[in-house]
Amino acid sequence: MMRATLVLLVRELKKWFGRKPVLVMSLLTPVLWIALFGKSLNLTNMLMPPGSLEGISPEMMKVLQQMVTARLIELFGTTDYFTYMSSGMLVVFAVFQGMFSGISIIFDKRLGYMDRLLVAPIPRLSIWLSKILAVAVRVTLLSLLLLAVSLLLGMNLKEGVGVIDLLASWSYIILLAMTIASLYALLSFYADNQEIVFAAGNLLNLPLMFTSSAMFPVEQMPDWLQKLASANPVTFAADLVRYHLIGRPVGDYTAELVKLVVIALVMLVVSGWASLRWMNNR
Amino acid sequence: MRHETCAVEAIDLEKTYKNGVKALKGVSFCIQRGEIFSLLGPNGAGKTTTVKILSTLIKPSGGTAYVGGYNVVEESSNVRRIIGIVPQDLTADDEMTGYDNVYVQARLHGLSRNEAKKKTKEVLEFMGLLEAANRKARTYSGGMRKRLEIAMSLVHSPQILFLDEPTLGLDVQSRRHLWDLIRKLKREGTTILLTTHYMEEADTLSDRIAIIDLGKVVALGSPEELKARLGGDRIYIRPALNQDLSLIKEKLVSKGYEVSILNGEVIVKVKKAEDSLFDIINLLRDLKISSLRISKPNLEDVFLELTGRKLREEEPLDSFRYRIHSMRVRR
Ligand SMILES: Nc1ncnc2c1ncn2[C@@H]1O[C@H](COP(=O)(O)OP(=O)(O)O)[C@@H](O)[C@H]1O
Ligand SMILES: [Mg+2]
Repeated sequence: MMRATLVLLVRELKKWFGRKPVLVMSLLTPVLWIALFGKSLNLTNMLMPPGSLEGISPEMMKVLQQMVTARLIELFGTTDYFTYMSSGMLVVFAVFQGMFSGISIIFDKRLGYMDRLLVAPIPRLSIWLSKILAVAVRVTLLSLLLLAVSLLLGMNLKEGVGVIDLLASWSYIILLAMTIASLYALLSFYADNQEIVFAAGNLLNLPLMFTSSAMFPVEQMPDWLQKLASANPVTFAADLVRYHLIGRPVGDYTAELVKLVVIALVMLVVSGWASLRWMNNR
Repeated sequence: MRHETCAVEAIDLEKTYKNGVKALKGVSFCIQRGEIFSLLGPNGAGKTTTVKILSTLIKPSGGTAYVGGYNVVEESSNVRRIIGIVPQDLTADDEMTGYDNVYVQARLHGLSRNEAKKKTKEVLEFMGLLEAANRKARTYSGGMRKRLEIAMSLVHSPQILFLDEPTLGLDVQSRRHLWDLIRKLKREGTTILLTTHYMEEADTLSDRIAIIDLGKVVALGSPEELKARLGGDRIYIRPALNQDLSLIKEKLVSKGYEVSILNGEVIVKVKKAEDSLFDIINLLRDLKISSLRISKPNLEDVFLELTGRKLREEEPLDSFRYRIHSMRVRR
């Protein structure tokens, strides 16, 4: 099982690295997002008290400033929105990458390569697993790059961030990526053209991103949105990653962790089972 | 595991696809170890479906099959270990190099890295692809891609090889090349199941042939046995006017010939065409004939005799035949 999975995983990655323009673009996209979106939508600056208030004493100004700062910390856990956003971006990109498991499966099916794999003497689950793991590897590499760029652009990690924090963040991002990859894998085994995957991507990516704490804090959302956000695995991953990277407190660490793991496991099991079912019942 | 009398055994195979198409309606045959066995039949006969079932890609809706003694449904992983398959449609990943395509197959079949490297080179050389090995499969010509498919299916030295229409769409030279190769594999002891709708391909390569039509085996035997069923040559006569068909038939029947009419032609069965030709021409000298040709015993005629239809509707019936060009008999 592991051996076949590894062979197929290497194939996936080799293809990814072979597509130079795609590789460059998939590396550039998050960088641009971070640089442009993160820097232009700078809530910290927007929320600062106006500089030209007349008749306000310096003391009053100080109080105002303190109010703003307190609110910022309350919402974002930092006075710096860029730091908040770029840590969320790490999670959002894991979601975006999840789609590639599906695209790869659809193309293998359409090009006939899937038939090749189905008559090979390997556990068929390894076909599915290699697609999920390929996403995990991609996300690992992209996240490292994204983190490096964010730091260059001024992201502030929490005081004394350690290896444990980095490893924990990595695990949560990967867990989320595999959850989403499972969803697309399941979809792609049963769908017969790539449009469905792209359509699902367009349908799901934005809601997943905005009904979560990835871009904006849940606390300031309307009630119904908060409900959605509190069931969205992206929220759990973002909260946990933020806790480790920028030190934003998380409501109930264990609860969020358990929910993230349970959702991931359920998705993986359902997706693996259904994919096998498709492969075995033709 | 079943006692191995046949390398491949199909017993009453049936397949109904999810959309309700009944592709196989009870297909049975037994392929001996080391023989080249062909499934010959027109498009849609059920050849690919049969190969897919035997190679464990899809499940039969009825019947059973054994490959190398293993049940294709219950012992599918054992079957997959000993077979190689060249599917009708291309399966190579055109974004990978020829080498990588073959190497991945070798690794999936459990060869170690070193073995896989060695066998990949060997088989690419055998297929004449060594020079193009490091090019993406996308850049290969049609013939090269087919050879790559074969290389991918041979790298683990399968005991039993399925070739589904391997020469479809190839030029004459590539086709000959492939035939030589198939013969070479047979000499090395590989059992081969070949499907084709080219009757000359089945004729020249096969030890035995199953003629298959509409999901059923309609005849089975060596090419010689099948052709012997015809009991002689055929003479095809096409009158210029369709209404002359029955007149011609009458004239010939009254002289004791065995005659039938099909697709605007009168078909006369004779022992030896050369002996009866002049007599027949003489009988028809008052009629306007647009064409007349002689056909030596061949599988096309066997199929026609069995099913009343041509093997390949899209191409002229007589493409590979000894024929007399538009021999006209005028008044
Ligand atoms: N996946 C499928 N779903 C539904 N019908 C199919 C499928 N594959 C083949 N068929 C139908 O089954 C019949 C046999 O097809 P096939 O086995 O491909 O024949 P051949 O290989 O002899 O041309 C045809 O009528 C074909 O249209
Ligand atoms: Mg076919």
